[in-house]
Amino acid sequence: MTDAPQLAQVVIHERTGESCIAQNKVFCPGWAIDNFDRYVDPALQQVVLVVVSVALGFAIAFALALLAHRRRWLVPPLIGVTGVFYTIPSLAFFFLLIPISGRGRDTAIIALTAYTLQIIFRNIMAGLANVPREVKDAGRGMGLTERQLLWRVELPLALPEIIAGLRVATVSTVALATLAAFAGGGGLGEEILSNIDFKTGIVIAGGLAILMAFAFDVILIGIQRLLTPWRRAVPA
Amino acid sequence: MSAAPHLPLAGLEIFGQAIEFIFNGQEAPTVSGKVGGLDQVLDLTARHLEVTALAMGLALIVALPAGLVLGHYGRGELVAVAAGNAGRALPELAIIAFMAAAIGVGLLNVTIALAVLAVPPILTNTFVAVRQVDRGAVDAARGMGMTAREVITRVELPLAVPTIMSGVRTSTINVVATATIAPLAGVLTLGDFILARNVYGDDGVLAGAMLVALLALTLELALAGLQRLLTSPGLRDATTATA
Amino acid sequence: MAGPVQHDGGSSGAAKAAAVRYDHVTKRYPGQEEPALTDLDLEVPAGEICVLVGPSGCGKTTAMRMVNRTVEITEGDIFVGDTSVREREPARLRRETGYVIQQVGLFPHRTVADNVATVPQLLGWDAKRTAARVEELLALVGLERELAGRYPAQLSGGQQQRVGVARALAADPPVMLMDEPFGAIDPITRERLQNEFLRLQGEIRKTILFVTHDIDEAIKMGDRVAVLKAGGRLAQYATPAELLMDPADEFVEDFVGADRALKRLALMRVSDIDLWKAPLAFVGQATSEVRAKLNGAEVPHALLVDSDRRPIGWLSERDLSADVVPERADSPPDPVLDLDDVMRDALADLLRSGTQYAPVTDAEGRIAGVLSVEIISEFLNSPRALSEEHAATERPHD
Repeated sequence: MTDAPQLAQVVIHERTGESCIAQNKVFCPGWAIDNFDRYVDPALQQVVLVVVSVALGFAIAFALALLAHRRRWLVPPLIGVTGVFYTIPSLAFFFLLIPISGRGRDTAIIALTAYTLQIIFRNIMAGLANVPREVKDAGRGMGLTERQLLWRVELPLALPEIIAGLRVATVSTVALATLAAFAGGGGLGEEILSNIDFKTGIVIAGGLAILMAFAFDVILIGIQRLLTPWRRAVPA
Repeated sequence: MSAAPHLPLAGLEIFGQAIEFIFNGQEAPTVSGKVGGLDQVLDLTARHLEVTALAMGLALIVALPAGLVLGHYGRGELVAVAAGNAGRALPELAIIAFMAAAIGVGLLNVTIALAVLAVPPILTNTFVAVRQVDRGAVDAARGMGMTAREVITRVELPLAVPTIMSGVRTSTINVVATATIAPLAGVLTLGDFILARNVYGDDGVLAGAMLVALLALTLELALAGLQRLLTSPGLRDATTATA
Repeated sequence: MAGPVQHDGGSSGAAKAAAVRYDHVTKRYPGQEEPALTDLDLEVPAGEICVLVGPSGCGKTTAMRMVNRTVEITEGDIFVGDTSVREREPARLRRETGYVIQQVGLFPHRTVADNVATVPQLLGWDAKRTAARVEELLALVGLERELAGRYPAQLSGGQQQRVGVARALAADPPVMLMDEPFGAIDPITRERLQNEFLRLQGEIRKTILFVTHDIDEAIKMGDRVAVLKAGGRLAQYATPAELLMDPADEFVEDFVGADRALKRLALMRVSDIDLWKAPLAFVGQATSEVRAKLNGAEVPHALLVDSDRRPIGWLSERDLSADVVPERADSPPDPVLDLDDVMRDALADLLRSGTQYAPVTDAEGRIAGVLSVEIISEFLNSPRALSEEHAATERPHD
């Protein structure tokens, strides 16, 4: 099945002409420029999917981490449960959820969120574990309560590791969100699926997804730099 | 299917039907004849495992030595680490679809595409694992007269096993997941149950999802066990996971 | 329940210092037969430094930490001023106790100024008051103002230690706890920090509990020294002089070391001794005059000084072969010592440089006399020295 000849009929471009599309070349710049806007909405849908899923995943993982911070025994079971979500391929996850939550964006978000839990949770715990003992000793000795110690000392110092986890989670989620189309969640995958043989289309959609992942990564790195000015300081 | 959530009871019933599909098969919804049943399930499972194994094998042959050598000599850090980050960003659907459209369908092409996806975590983790091996141990080994090859195989590799295995596990899960959409490129795996709804019906779709999930979890457990086996007792408490 | 803090006579500014009293304090850890601390009973007068010293495992750190309840008391009680620490809420108690540990434990993610401001902020001081106090403290511990905005990673070890001390002093606590604060520093910086800290204490007069494993540091820093042995038992609690003269038992004697005579030098200043006089030479003076002075002088070398009598260098034979004293001398005057220097450090400088004589200057840098190893050893063995030290119960800096 190919829509390529029909597309070519709809858009006739001077530079490349019908031939590029008709031959289904790997990349037809002319067509790409003309039809770029049909990728905007799916891209935005994907952005929403990613942002919502990672935000939710972070919120849940953070809550779990706070819970497990003073109850070490919770860590292995939590890693186990979140690990199950991480291991189940998202496509399978989508279709396991559909009977429960139906087709659409919600199902996609649930699955994508579940996928991010383990990596974010692990990184928060690792970040907290890496806070130097003497800093905590000094903090407690100076009269900080456990709660103040956590929020004013431990969490800020764990930020780099936490954001590292967010970066991995976000980049992975962008790639996975491309599959959301299978669950009816929209996104760039929708474009690929609807024209599965159309090479230029695949290249554009895939390329946009990769660019999106890269952009998110850069943004998060920037946020980390902003929030951790002390790491930029040159040592004596 | 509607977008409205179903009642839990109805959901359970649906899962029951899916299990029925797996073991006994059903009447196909649109064509005549039977679909599902244990034979077909096992067949597709075997195909799924086959393409996974082939792709992982290929990826290991490429990435493991590369990671070991680069890590040993400390070169190419940028590439090794960037590969890991970039690999995560690759959308599997685009890769499979593009490969099918541009290069062609078939087991070989799919295997190569999957191997490409599998390489980054293995490469990055192997590189990092070797770099993080205790420098003292390496120095001692060199001082005792081991050649580079011996240092790599007798000292660095055993010490790097936990982190490397972590990368292998991540890779394998990725490959199993992507193999689920391999039917789009003509390689029939368990994903076919999910993707070809007109052939297998709704029950088939659900059955496929359950089977894929089960397969992934089983493999993960097996690999975790393998990791434990391969890790020297002296290292058992080492933590893992970079990719 | 807020604990009242004593107002002590103290000097300059810091009005409060409270006495600390251990009342038969014992610490037992569950599962261990021997207590970590056994029946510790001593009193530290307000404004004094009490050094807890002993071999590792003797319970000195445990004893110190019980004052701010980072370790809990099993039996007995500790009183800061008139209030028992057991009756105070731990977090509140700690905010009113200075706390300095060996690795400092500065918050890496906050600037120097923010680190110092930690306790004032916890106590709810307003921003203006806090900022003023931070500035005051940084000057007090000898840190330049520009460092206030830096992060700990950008400071040297010595600078970090100073910030740690400033941070502990921020809320003007009546009691300070210091756990091997100079232990992780190189010996040269450590000496400097010790001297500066003693000078600081002369100004602020806090009650300080100071833990160290180094007996030399204990003798140098302490107004009183508590020697603990295994099992947390108090072997002796006395002034440094008493410790050196009159060790209570064999353990203390061994711990103090066989070189007690040399250790006594830590209790003296250069100014305590009669210095020799070297013939002084001024630029442009006739060398014949200098030669005349050299005849029969205590020190057989002429010291070139400027018009303010500040040492420039030692004159050699070659220098004096000219008619007139030259502007420069052949040998540098180093090491130049200060009248205020602790004798032990002065001796160390002399020995290190390998010179026989060292010029001693006063606070303005003017020559006051010459010190040599001979003078020191003569003095140590003189009957006057032995009787003087027996009477000495005060720190050199008083």
